[in-house]
Amino acid sequence: MNARLDVDFVPAEGAMLRILGLIERRGYRIHELTLSERPQRSSSLSMLIEARDAGRQPDIVARQVGNLFDVSSVTLSPSQPSARP
Amino acid sequence: MLSPAPRPPAPLPQQVLGAQLVVEALEAAGSEYIFGYPGGAIMPVYDALTGSSLKHILVRHEQAAALAADAYARVTGQAGVCLATSGPGATNLITGIANAFMDSVPMVAITGQVPTTLMGTDAFQEIDTFGLMMPIVKHSFLVRDPADIPHVFAEAFRIATMGRPGPVLIDLPKNVTNGFATRAELPVHQPKAIAFDSDAVAAADALIAAAVKPLLYVGGGVAMARAEDALRRFVARTAIPSVATLKGLGSIPTDDPTFIGMLGMHGSRAANIAVEECDLLICIGARFDDRATGKLASFAPNAKVIHLDADPSEIGKLRRAEVGFAGDIVAALDGFSAQPHVGDWLAHCQGRKRLWAPRYDAPGQGIYAPALLKTLADKAGDGAIFTCDVGLHQMWVAQHCRFSRPQAHLTSGGLGTMGYGVPAGIGALLAEPDATVITVSGDGSFMMNIQELATLRRYRLPLKIVLIDNSQLGMVRQWQELFFEENFSEIDLSDNPAFSEVAHAFGIEAFTIDCRDEVAGGIARLLGTGGPILMHVRIDPRENVWPLVPPNSPNVEMLEKRW
Repeated sequence: MNARLDVDFVPAEGAMLRILGLIERRGYRIHELTLSERPQRSSSLSMLIEARDAGRQPDIVARQVGNLFDVSSVTLSPSQPSARP
Repeated sequence: MLSPAPRPPAPLPQQVLGAQLVVEALEAAGSEYIFGYPGGAIMPVYDALTGSSLKHILVRHEQAAALAADAYARVTGQAGVCLATSGPGATNLITGIANAFMDSVPMVAITGQVPTTLMGTDAFQEIDTFGLMMPIVKHSFLVRDPADIPHVFAEAFRIATMGRPGPVLIDLPKNVTNGFATRAELPVHQPKAIAFDSDAVAAADALIAAAVKPLLYVGGGVAMARAEDALRRFVARTAIPSVATLKGLGSIPTDDPTFIGMLGMHGSRAANIAVEECDLLICIGARFDDRATGKLASFAPNAKVIHLDADPSEIGKLRRAEVGFAGDIVAALDGFSAQPHVGDWLAHCQGRKRLWAPRYDAPGQGIYAPALLKTLADKAGDGAIFTCDVGLHQMWVAQHCRFSRPQAHLTSGGLGTMGYGVPAGIGALLAEPDATVITVSGDGSFMMNIQELATLRRYRLPLKIVLIDNSQLGMVRQWQELFFEENFSEIDLSDNPAFSEVAHAFGIEAFTIDCRDEVAGGIARLLGTGGPILMHVRIDPRENVWPLVPPNSPNVEMLEKRW
């Protein structure tokens, strides 16, 4: 199952590794990763995630990412088909 | 060999050494005991410890520092503190930190690090501690400026204890602890009060009121939230029967008439059947761990679920909940007002508990460990704290000892850490110096941290160690017997040392018993001795732990003892 995860976070030491590592350790592949700088010492990661097996629920991993202390918000949405040639 | 210590620059007026800020931050956090082992990169902190109010416990292996801090935290409810140097010191802490992470124990782990100028150069005793520990900590800090020390420590203690507790790492490069900064006022954080959705409370009350066979499924989160009083109030109001996970034992006293037993792989038949039959499962501070649920698809097949947990990501993770509460367990339990009619159901569960009560009349003259442990727990009384290691004895303690509070049973639940028992006994004794603290260990586990006998001796900690010796890796042996066609591979420990002589060499009183007639006298000597003491108990190597639910089987498919 694919889903899009948008994560706003404070770019503290190791923050991005914490987010990406947690998602991979919890059984997801990460595709189409985009990092954006935001004003007010904030950053945003947007990524397409794909569960490695059917038993995994993206809303659970979204809540687990939301538990991280650097993370200010997490938005989960259904993935859109990518516009590849 | 120690890394060269650069001479710190001269401080400006009003400036203080980073290492001194570390000590002051620990004092400000209310730490009394800290557990550690010095080495090159953490030496500035050890230098600053002299003269502080902190009581440092010098263990003989860093792993024991983390495990002792873990047990200290479980008993006191405060974050345990451990510290070690960079490189091997930090890696030796890892098992203990992972143990705290798996069991949601508040801990602040402090590691020295090579100077920031050397980081990334493969310097002596350099390892990427921050990166290594990332998957096993709730949060981590790498401090690059001594001025950050006060607020990083304050934040670390706040993170470790709030919500779902867990370990927090602070990695301190040597030039940071050797650097200077000005003291600064700390920001004061107000904890956020979580208000429960009144619709959810009403929905839960409706489920409770409508249930004919409701059952409480109590986990370690109750103890971590210090919610046992609220839970007992709820049980007193409703008389709903309960089962507990390994970590949930003691949240409702073992002798309480509504308590049916431990569920799961080595749970009681009465408890597992109650889960099978219930129509409402109220899960409190538990996470549907596979050791508790067995084959998940068959777990509580007839039940609707209400789930209370400090961690929102646990709600619905493995089992859909009709109603979920993330946050304060005490507020949730006190918020329910439904009054179900459970008299018949409770009597039914109690009847099953009596029918399937454990037997202690094992044939022969050899020592039957469950009977010994039951007698020991009865003699030790309600105030006693049991710590245990991992293996057959761990399950026997859970099954046959009595616990009147969750802090009375310290066990490595999630990680299953052999070697937990003795360091945990040290932590428990420092947390409650007047308590009778008993460590039950196995011969395999005991050898994992046997060096901590020296720590017991140094601090004159009156730990009572019951070493149950089957000269095997007993639980592995049982699995090989049952599930690997008796292909006994590498489980023979018959060349163990003479444990009593080893204990004597550490300056610890010790004795050995190996027949049933010696049990009563042995327990009396163990409990009657003022200092640390080891009772070495030889048992039949073929003895197994029962019941046992085979892996990936429903909990009702229990294998039972054959006499």
